[in-house]
Amino acid sequence: MGKYSLTVNKKTHTFEVASDTPLLWVLRDTLKLYGTKYGCGIGQCGACTVHIDGLPYRSCCIPIESIKDQSIVTIEGLSENGTHTVQLAWQVVDVPQCGYCQSGQIMTAAALLDRIPQPTEADINRAMKGNICRCGTYVRIKEAIKLAAKNISS
Amino acid sequence: MTSRRNFIKVSGLAGGGLAISLAVPKYARTMAFKPGDREITMNNFLTIDTGGNITAILTKHEMGQGTGTSVPTILADELGADWSKVKIKRSDYNPVYSWREMGTTGGSGSIERIWNAIRNAGATAREMMKQAAAQQWGVDTMVVKAENSFVINLITKERLEFGQLAEAASKLPVPEKVVLKKPKDYVYIGTSVKNRITPEVVAGKANYGIDMDIPSMVYAAIKRCPVFNGKVVTYDDTEARGLKGVLDIFPLTLSEDVKKTLHPKIGYVDEGVVVVADSTWTAFKATKLLKITWDQGANGSRSTTSLENEMKAAKDAVSFKFEMGDFEQVLNDRNNEILEVEYNNPHHPHALMEPINATAHFTGEACEVWVGTQDAAQTNAEVAKLLGLPRENVTVHVLNSGGSFGRRYHMDSSIEAAFISRKINKPVKVTWTREDEMMHDHFQHCLRNYLTAVITPDKRVVGVQNKAICTVDYAIWSEKWDHYYAFPNIRGYRAHVPTLVQQGAWRSVGEHSGSLGKECFIDELAHKTGKDPIDYRIELLGNEVDWGDPKDFPNWVINYFLPRKKIIRQRYLDTLEYIRMHNLWKKEMPYGRGKGFAIANFGDTICAQIAEVTMDDSECGFSVDKVTAVVYCGMVVNPHFGRGQIEGAIIWALSAVKYGGITVENGVVQRTNFDNNKVVRMDETPEIEVIFIESDEEPCGLGEPGTPALAPAVLNAIFDASGKRIREIPVRKEIFQSA
Ligand code: FES
Ligand code: FES
Repeated sequence: MGKYSLTVNKKTHTFEVASDTPLLWVLRDTLKLYGTKYGCGIGQCGACTVHIDGLPYRSCCIPIESIKDQSIVTIEGLSENGTHTVQLAWQVVDVPQCGYCQSGQIMTAAALLDRIPQPTEADINRAMKGNICRCGTYVRIKEAIKLAAKNISS
Repeated sequence: MTSRRNFIKVSGLAGGGLAISLAVPKYARTMAFKPGDREITMNNFLTIDTGGNITAILTKHEMGQGTGTSVPTILADELGADWSKVKIKRSDYNPVYSWREMGTTGGSGSIERIWNAIRNAGATAREMMKQAAAQQWGVDTMVVKAENSFVINLITKERLEFGQLAEAASKLPVPEKVVLKKPKDYVYIGTSVKNRITPEVVAGKANYGIDMDIPSMVYAAIKRCPVFNGKVVTYDDTEARGLKGVLDIFPLTLSEDVKKTLHPKIGYVDEGVVVVADSTWTAFKATKLLKITWDQGANGSRSTTSLENEMKAAKDAVSFKFEMGDFEQVLNDRNNEILEVEYNNPHHPHALMEPINATAHFTGEACEVWVGTQDAAQTNAEVAKLLGLPRENVTVHVLNSGGSFGRRYHMDSSIEAAFISRKINKPVKVTWTREDEMMHDHFQHCLRNYLTAVITPDKRVVGVQNKAICTVDYAIWSEKWDHYYAFPNIRGYRAHVPTLVQQGAWRSVGEHSGSLGKECFIDELAHKTGKDPIDYRIELLGNEVDWGDPKDFPNWVINYFLPRKKIIRQRYLDTLEYIRMHNLWKKEMPYGRGKGFAIANFGDTICAQIAEVTMDDSECGFSVDKVTAVVYCGMVVNPHFGRGQIEGAIIWALSAVKYGGITVENGVVQRTNFDNNKVVRMDETPEIEVIFIESDEEPCGLGEPGTPALAPAVLNAIFDASGKRIREIPVRKEIFQSA
């Protein structure tokens, strides 16, 4: 058990949890930020992806005690009202089916475009293959990423 | 014109406006042959208030198929509404919506089954809006039309908004007859209206069952007996109790008396030990510290190897199902060549993206449940039975789910949550770990087909026999009604081997299992007889199967079933002709690549697929480069959703071809998470082209029909590419090195 202070979506929260609690469960159970999803708990599915200092991480595999003065962004904080380039592209393409995997997909895609604004097909596959979608929306996810990239360049 | 009878009831809306209630026959369309079905009223199914706000009740579960958007667009279209004014309200479980077609979600039937009822409701409201406006203007309804939530006077061009008319409309008599729109006049149907859940999803605000949160709620996890039907004997929870945040630990065991009242399959719950804690994480962690002694029961000594042996042995103990013609006679003709092959389609997991969960709050007299379920009515029934409460005291709130695919027909998590809430007197959320979800899935059943064909010296297939060995008591091609290919002599057998895991519906159910052997076998026969696989199928479908003498058939078979079979056969033919006409199949493949074809129906929808593969050194020994799907499903209500369902089903089935097939050892499922249960990811996703054959016929389902043709199309393509006949999935690279 320990007392922790965490900056999520620009807001600082203080709380007490077991020191091995993964960031995922702090976000969900403690901070009630339910946009970040649980899918596997072992870093295999990407549903729990968040940004830590701008880079994509699997929040299910990061114990709270290992986070030091870092800034965390979840899907709820990616933009005001879902207006990030990636979120807009997702709406234009109308990507989601059940939608459950999509916060993770969007967070991974946003981090990819931050790093490589004009990704190749291979870049997209490499970045996105860690995110599972059981509804099989991969075709649309790819289309939305390409659209977002196009919107960035213009 | 549709006869109204008493299907629609209209009343005033509290606060002013129009409320439409639907009284529809219990089986709206698909099973209209069943006489004596009750009619059920759905109150305030559609309301229009004086502000022009339109609210449509959604009784279907939104699980990724888009029904929450597509069903209301049908209503809005027929009503002549402005889609942006239409709100969709999820209904809790309510007995008036509980009849099959409204209360459950599955079988790819949401739209198909309520298509008529919903259009009638929309058209009735539209006619009443028109009448109210016509009265106000003192004109005949012939000169007014409804469009975009306005009624327009075609002569004076005056306009009245629905909101201005709703109150007056509610006082009018219900029209005797309404005219439904012609397909060419549709505004929303047939267009890709955007999914209503998308803005919430992309903002991270879409809430699923697993996100349920109520004040003073606690969290539970369960260590379930790893063996199906096993029992808890004793347990030691000392260590688990030492964990800070653990609130309670107790066994989940049901008395035989209670068990007897629950549904044996969908109401089945595993025995286990429950941990209640102040967070999900603590509950998960504590279950790992429990030391439990199980009584594994009979399944504890079974495995996939023993199941395989049991299934192989059952080949000689099959029961005769049907015979059309005289198979024995052609079999015994010594001039004929006999082809005998064996296909195997094993258990597959669902691996739903959102792990199973449920939240319940028992208050002594009543219980509320929050869950993503395909069957809220049955959830209500099972929870009521467990708690010994009258059904009206159990409320089931249906939340969106992160995929269902048949798995959420089972009520296990709701029963668990209700059980725990009663025990601790608090609201509780039960979350399954991914490991729980994998190991305690309700798997697709397992099917082995022993197929025999009799081929004459002049290369005609004169007889086909199927022995289906299955872990459920159904299998396509083992009943005569499943046959569309008109071989002159056909014989079917089936044997049922008891399952060693829990089973349930899995996207396309028996069609996936059975189509593997059937469609690969047809491909084998086409090659044997030197025919093109498409031409050969057209030839086989050219005649109707000889079902026998109609005087032996019950009325429903003659009046409903056989006409439907005719339609399906025609759709098969139309789909195949489409492919031939558009030259979709005639493609030369270079060395190391191959193409394969398969076709299947799910309900009245036909889906044919052409798979293109390349042999390679990957773990499966091949990759799928492209799948072209040609779909005959009548009208497509929302092409974007429709295409998405076919794409999704192809990827779903491809996961089974590459990585499906669980192993079980000592009764324990050997898959635990996405590391040892792989699924197809973006980098393995083929190019997918979906072609809908244009049609004005009533829309048929699309959620499942994309699944069954994929596996046989891929295996047939592998044969084309490598010359190797693979008769089993999943496909592993090693198989190309042997055989
Ligand atoms: S839940 Fe974190 S990767 Fe799956
Ligand atoms: S949209 Fe359902 S899992 Fe991806």
